[in-house]
Amino acid sequence: MVEEFVVVSDLQKSFNEHKAVDGVSFSVHKGEIFGLLGPNGAGKTTTIRMLSTVLVADGGEITIGGHSMQRESAAIRSIIGVCPQELALYDDLSALDNMVFFGRMAGMTGLEAKEQAMANLKLMGLVDRAKGKVAKFSGGMKRRINLAIALMGNPQLVFLDEPTVGIDPQSRNHIYENILGLQKKGMTILYTTHYMEEADRLCNRVAIMDGGKIIAMDTPHQLKSQIGPPEKVTLEEVFLRLTGRSLRD
Amino acid sequence: MKRALYITLNEVRLYLQDKGDLAFSLLLPIVTFALIYGAFGGRTLFEATARVVDEDGGAYATALVQRLDAADGISIETLTSSQAEDKLDRSDVLLVLYIPAGFSESLLSGGKSQLVFKQRGNGGQEGQILASIVRGVAEDMNQEFQVRADVAQNVEGKGVPEERIGVAVEKYLEEERQQPFVGVAEELVGGSADVINQYLPGIVTMYVLFALSLSARVIVEERRKGTLERLLTTRLSTGELFFGKFLAAVARGFVQTLILLGLSYAVFQMFTPLTFLESLLIILIFTAACSALGLIVASIARSEDAANWIGVVFTMFMVMLGGTFFQVTEDSILHTMGRVSINTYANDALRKVIAEGASLGDITIPLVVLGGVAVVGLIISRLVFRAVPGGK
Repeated sequence: MVEEFVVVSDLQKSFNEHKAVDGVSFSVHKGEIFGLLGPNGAGKTTTIRMLSTVLVADGGEITIGGHSMQRESAAIRSIIGVCPQELALYDDLSALDNMVFFGRMAGMTGLEAKEQAMANLKLMGLVDRAKGKVAKFSGGMKRRINLAIALMGNPQLVFLDEPTVGIDPQSRNHIYENILGLQKKGMTILYTTHYMEEADRLCNRVAIMDGGKIIAMDTPHQLKSQIGPPEKVTLEEVFLRLTGRSLRD
Repeated sequence: MKRALYITLNEVRLYLQDKGDLAFSLLLPIVTFALIYGAFGGRTLFEATARVVDEDGGAYATALVQRLDAADGISIETLTSSQAEDKLDRSDVLLVLYIPAGFSESLLSGGKSQLVFKQRGNGGQEGQILASIVRGVAEDMNQEFQVRADVAQNVEGKGVPEERIGVAVEKYLEEERQQPFVGVAEELVGGSADVINQYLPGIVTMYVLFALSLSARVIVEERRKGTLERLLTTRLSTGELFFGKFLAAVARGFVQTLILLGLSYAVFQMFTPLTFLESLLIILIFTAACSALGLIVASIARSEDAANWIGVVFTMFMVMLGGTFFQVTEDSILHTMGRVSINTYANDALRKVIAEGASLGDITIPLVVLGGVAVVGLIISRLVFRAVPGGK
């Protein structure tokens, strides 16, 4: 029996007259890596912002870990972690101080936050740079710290919004391994990316969004098999066929 | 509440990490104080330089010049006769006091002497005031000669040693100088005429406003860094976020103003310990009001530039209406308009405390208004805040 950890039903969000999210429904199973794909302006970020309690939906329902977004958003914030696309870090603070600060915001004591920060830094291969100022870190190191902060407070669900954008293959590979490691520990992950091979490699299922709607949702294997032999078709080909080749933004 | 304090601590830590910002914000009050001291330090309402040509050089001429030099607001420039003539010819000066040769000798021998004013036209307003002061000093010296002469005449032939007469007369004259038979008391109406007392409150309140117009950027900065969204997905509530930012802004503005007021206390000695504490309380509440208003700006501004400009325009508006640089007369339209400026209330309260030694009971209304602005401003800033511009 698959446990649905995230249930989204008929989600709506408009900015002025523009419908950014238009009747989106999906569910994410516990312990699953669920990919949310789509071209720029498809409504991915708005959807994640509503799921992560930053934006209030105009309509529809969200339930995370059994908590209703409308009534229990505080409870939802206590079980989620967010790794935004921007490097949401305080450059003037050390890696450790950044992590301890966000750990405290996640409800940890100072000691707990420090212990977990060191553990997460070890996981990210940055323990020797714990006291270094983030401003002096490379792009890849900052990305890893960005991810490590999202894990503070042991969240049950983590939103990873393009966590590997703009970094070298080594750092990217390190992050992939960490994400798969988190899944093995039972963490549920909602993942967005523009790298289709990344989604293919990591995600159990993906939803492809365009124009504020979900236009396809299945496992990467099933999506690929809709247009040809899965071993010969790439997820990018599926994506382009579904969303078209016209430029966005 | 605990998380709000973490936000405050984090702000303080970031502030301490930024050495440039730290140096600027701590040096600024010192520089401001130096400017105040340079502009007003030791000044009285009237200041002038008396140009003196001492052609005598004797004891009484020297005593006259010393007494003039000791008068409030008067400094002495000694000139030669030819220098004085040149300056008068060029209208560089309008009045010069000449102490003629033989001045002291004549007085010593019991004769009369004459001081001379050489002046262009009527000597100018400053020259006329100087001439009055010189006449006053000369009159004092006349009276002292008269006393000495009367005493000498009364004790003549009674066998009192001349030296003892001299000591007794000097003692009597000194008592007269300290406690004159006819004294002049000053009763202040509408506060002290001291320029420091007059302007310091306005400078301090303007300073707080400028410092806090910078704090109007706090939310925009967090948004730009991406940390705002991350914070809003933690257990931190938006109310706690705002309260934490508010406390940090109050602490920063208060510490800066504390330096400014502390220096004023130490150098100008314009406070009693009680009025100093009262002034700090006023500044604390005013800083809270400014911080809350700064947070409203921070909530509605979509960019750091917008936050800066709104902050600067707001500050200028408040400063102008608040009577910072000039007294606003009570019946004027400006006075009525000034009631919307929080500076008005802070300036009124500070002037009453500094210049009149008012107690907290005398400034209840301004304190309540400022406290109200702080509370209402904080609530409004929370209500108008949007995590994502255009969102809700």
